[in-house]
Amino acid sequence: MSYTITEKCNGCGACARNCPAVAISGEKKKPHTIDASLCIECGACGRICPQAAVLDAEGASCMMIKRSEWLKPDIVLESCVACGICIDACPVGCLVLSELPRKKGVDAFPYLKDAKACIGCGFCSRECPVEAVVMQIPIKTQKVAASGESA
Amino acid sequence: MASKYKGYAGRMLDVDLTTGKIGEYELSDRDRERFIGGRYISTKILWDLMKPGIDPLSPDNILIIMTSPLTGTGAPSTSRYDISAKSPQTGTIGHSNSGGNFGIHLKKAGWDGVIVRGKAQSPVYLDINDDAVLIKDAKAIWGKDIEETKELMGDKKAGKMVIGPAGENLVRYAIVVSQDRAHGRSGMGAVMGSKNLKGIVAKGSKKIELYDADSFKETIKKWIKMLQGHPATGEFAPKYGTSGFLKSLSDHHALPTKNFSSGHYEDAQMLTGQTLTETRLVKNDGCQSCPIRCARIVELDGRQIKGPEYEILCLLGSNMLINDMDAIIRWNHELDTLGLDAISTGTVMGFAAELNEKGMWKTGIEFGKKDNISAVIRDIALRRGIGADLAEGVKYLSKKYGGEDFAPHSKGMEMAGYEPRGAVGHGLGYATANRGACHLDGGYMIYFEATGPAILDPYDYRSKPSYTILDQNLLSAISAGGNCLFTSWTILPTIVFKVPNSKIVSWLVTQILTVTWPAIELILKMPSSMMRYHLPMLPHSKAIKQATGMDIDFGRFSRMGERGFTLERLFNAREGFSAKDDTLPKRFTDEEQIPGNAKTKVPLGKMLPAYYKLRGWDANGIPTPATIKKLDLEDLIRS
Repeated sequence: MSYTITEKCNGCGACARNCPAVAISGEKKKPHTIDASLCIECGACGRICPQAAVLDAEGASCMMIKRSEWLKPDIVLESCVACGICIDACPVGCLVLSELPRKKGVDAFPYLKDAKACIGCGFCSRECPVEAVVMQIPIKTQKVAASGESA
Repeated sequence: MASKYKGYAGRMLDVDLTTGKIGEYELSDRDRERFIGGRYISTKILWDLMKPGIDPLSPDNILIIMTSPLTGTGAPSTSRYDISAKSPQTGTIGHSNSGGNFGIHLKKAGWDGVIVRGKAQSPVYLDINDDAVLIKDAKAIWGKDIEETKELMGDKKAGKMVIGPAGENLVRYAIVVSQDRAHGRSGMGAVMGSKNLKGIVAKGSKKIELYDADSFKETIKKWIKMLQGHPATGEFAPKYGTSGFLKSLSDHHALPTKNFSSGHYEDAQMLTGQTLTETRLVKNDGCQSCPIRCARIVELDGRQIKGPEYEILCLLGSNMLINDMDAIIRWNHELDTLGLDAISTGTVMGFAAELNEKGMWKTGIEFGKKDNISAVIRDIALRRGIGADLAEGVKYLSKKYGGEDFAPHSKGMEMAGYEPRGAVGHGLGYATANRGACHLDGGYMIYFEATGPAILDPYDYRSKPSYTILDQNLLSAISAGGNCLFTSWTILPTIVFKVPNSKIVSWLVTQILTVTWPAIELILKMPSSMMRYHLPMLPHSKAIKQATGMDIDFGRFSRMGERGFTLERLFNAREGFSAKDDTLPKRFTDEEQIPGNAKTKVPLGKMLPAYYKLRGWDANGIPTPATIKKLDLEDLIRS
């Protein structure tokens, strides 16, 4: 199954720019389409679409989320076995293995090198065999959100 | 026709390079049940498709790249995949298994394996992107070394397997490389070179479906925890890598020294994994999906590169009487980029050095001489000067220049870095392994004889046939299932690793293990229906069951290992191999390693008859009809 775009699309092109699989095409200001054979169901298009014009694989409408509040991977170093599955699972290549080993020991560990490139798909977390990748809103943003609520 | 079993992608690619035809190969579910995956399915396909007696470097040879049901599922150490063909090194079945992420990407593209037939007219590479498969021109990258080829060929994020100049020049022990890991043995790189195939690139977006994904995830979580908590796979291997036991091998007189003439090297400490870790290790590296992470990263000329494994530290180290680790790190890198097998190259060098010393072939290759090794390695890969002869391997050299008595090979494959006279069971493994003198195919008895914590008496020959068969069956089953062989290390419970601290207990364990061989024979004879359980320390069968939905337990799993091993034997028999080829050179069977100690030779003549009998093979080493029937292989013989 693949994500789809409804007629609500106004052709802003934000989704196409954000799609890691280059599955979205369309002319500017005209409805875009998703190539089902290329779609990897990461949901990046749904999170970015200001028109809520994207339906997920189940046909449910996707909600736009502020980019600063997208979930990002956090590596639990104590459980991580450095197997590298998360790095391979990442469709945008924002996770890399550290240049140096972690403090005690000889093993390197994965970390979010390019946070801006992260589309919050959670593939890394889903594929991790030891549940060492936790998806959460980056701490800085969490604070802002919390203070916003209390105000 | 897709498979009814999950875990597999269910489809196999069939490419004919001569005609350019790209199709699919139908693999039956019955073959999946019988052979599970990897090398065994490949052997079955080779048995079906290939005529006996063909030249391994001709277009008639068939190259098969094959994954296993656990490949890419997230189970520990399962990035491994297998390449098989008739071996240009030996003429037997050739297969080589390695880490590297190509197998995972191939499976994600929706293919369990690739069959490559024929020969392309000019250099090509195969580009697989999900269902789109293209044969692409590779003239521009032909001749490039492995590092450059990986850069230039195909998409950056794709899985790749490539050959270097050695494969192009048909060096009999050329390798195939994926990421930093090499398919070293059997000369699969030369087979690819003979087909004008520079490499294969795979990229895919499909998901691997599992039969019982939830329990599978639980199983592998526990499994990873066990591997991490085990002294061998959680501490020793990550800390010191594969060369961690080099010193202990030397102490057991099993470290090849001066072309396998001795088993003890006085400078062994300078080559060990412990020294490597203390002085040169930058960080660990590992295959994708593996929690063990035994690979090393070291620095060379300001760059971080792959560090040396045990085999090269021994075969270009002690075996050449060289104690310079920095030099070996450099040669290791050169072998990897040129595409040569480190084991065979090291053994060839050692043999050439002895020929040179004895005045039988003056080449300038000398024990302890470092300055010309880089040049010789280059010459082998490019087949220049003496390299043209060296590229043919030890067997060829011994026929041409003499020295057959001390040419370390079996069936034409150079011996790996273990001196069989220091561990006679390992010698039996060398002689009986289907692809030649390979330590892994031979059963890796050294783990029970020298490197492991609780050991068998290394010189006791009576206990060896049964233990060797048990090991050969288990290791090959693990490999067919898709795991790294190092996951077998957990077979010994944690407690025995604490034993060596006490000499008396250690002695006692050795005695008990050594005299319990009749019990092992009994286990081997037990019908698989009596072993309808999964072993907690070897969860392989459980994981395969949960991934595929196949009715498999430990008994069927080890029977599958036995079946495949016998299938490979049948393949070799069809090619004309028999008991006469299960030999070792005279140095190992007739000369004492330690003069005056009659036990320090491999009593092959005493072990082989027992081995054949236990395997259910006749005196000539051919599986009997009863054995073939027992192992459910009858259809192969009838057709």
